[in-house]
Amino acid sequence: MLHQQLPWYIGGPVLGLCVVAVRLLLNERLGATGAFSEVVERLGRRSLAFDWRGWLFFGLVAGGLLFVALNGGPAFEGYGWLTDTFTGATAIIIAPILIVAGALIGFGAKAAGGCTSGNGLSGNAMASPSSLAATATFFGTGIVVSFVIQAVI
Amino acid sequence: MKLAAAIVGAVFGITLTWSGLTDPAVIRAGLLFEQSYLFLFFAAALGVAFAGTQILGRLRPRALLTGERVEWTTESPDRRRLGGAALFGIGWAVAGACPGPIAAQLGQGVGWSLFTLAGVVIGIVLYLRLQRRDRAAAGEAAGGRLAQPAAR
Repeated sequence: MLHQQLPWYIGGPVLGLCVVAVRLLLNERLGATGAFSEVVERLGRRSLAFDWRGWLFFGLVAGGLLFVALNGGPAFEGYGWLTDTFTGATAIIIAPILIVAGALIGFGAKAAGGCTSGNGLSGNAMASPSSLAATATFFGTGIVVSFVIQAVI
Repeated sequence: MKLAAAIVGAVFGITLTWSGLTDPAVIRAGLLFEQSYLFLFFAAALGVAFAGTQILGRLRPRALLTGERVEWTTESPDRRRLGGAALFGIGWAVAGACPGPIAAQLGQGVGWSLFTLAGVVIGIVLYLRLQRRDRAAAGEAAGGRLAQPAAR
């Protein structure tokens, strides 16, 4: 039922409305990195008293879960180029690659003050010069690194 | 507030998943310009987010759940932010995922996402440690009297 990919002109505006909803309801900036960070910081203090950003994180997880419940399975198999490239015994190398990539994502997004949602959508919607520069930068390095990987594998 | 945030998160998560944007192959095809979907999706999302946010910024209503005025301040780019964004882009291209989709992958029970998640947690913890150290150093530099917000 849900198997077909949602058209971009429906999915995109829905995400845009999520950004607007958080602004209208809470006067806050929607960002997945902030949501992750809230959970990490709170758990680090042995606390479960998450603020709204923690609940945003649980909502994101629940969204994936809800999709599986409606669709009968996840939206995709494997993990992109990594599972296509490293098959059989070499698949073990995917784990450290993902951990390092994840660390770059977590550290980089914190330093940048946001990720694709926090800077790319919410920050740009606020017309923040910092977010515009960050978005241009991460799309830039993302594109370059994708082509480098393409050339190497 | 918590319920509202959870609902918005769930809508965000299921939309990302349904759009295929939690699939690293879709992100990669976008960044390699093989498919226009990623850029069209992003542009559509940003267009709506920008229009809605800017309208709210003009009207300055009271936020429905907190009662405070809808307003915000913006920041200028600096070396730390641009360096962070550059690192983020590298990780994004290698993993084919960013924080929102990683959370939605977890919900879908995608096993590999546990490693990406572990990495993100390590990265955030590292950043928070550095930030604490910088703040302590800034506090000492100011004679311990002024707690300077050196970095976020």
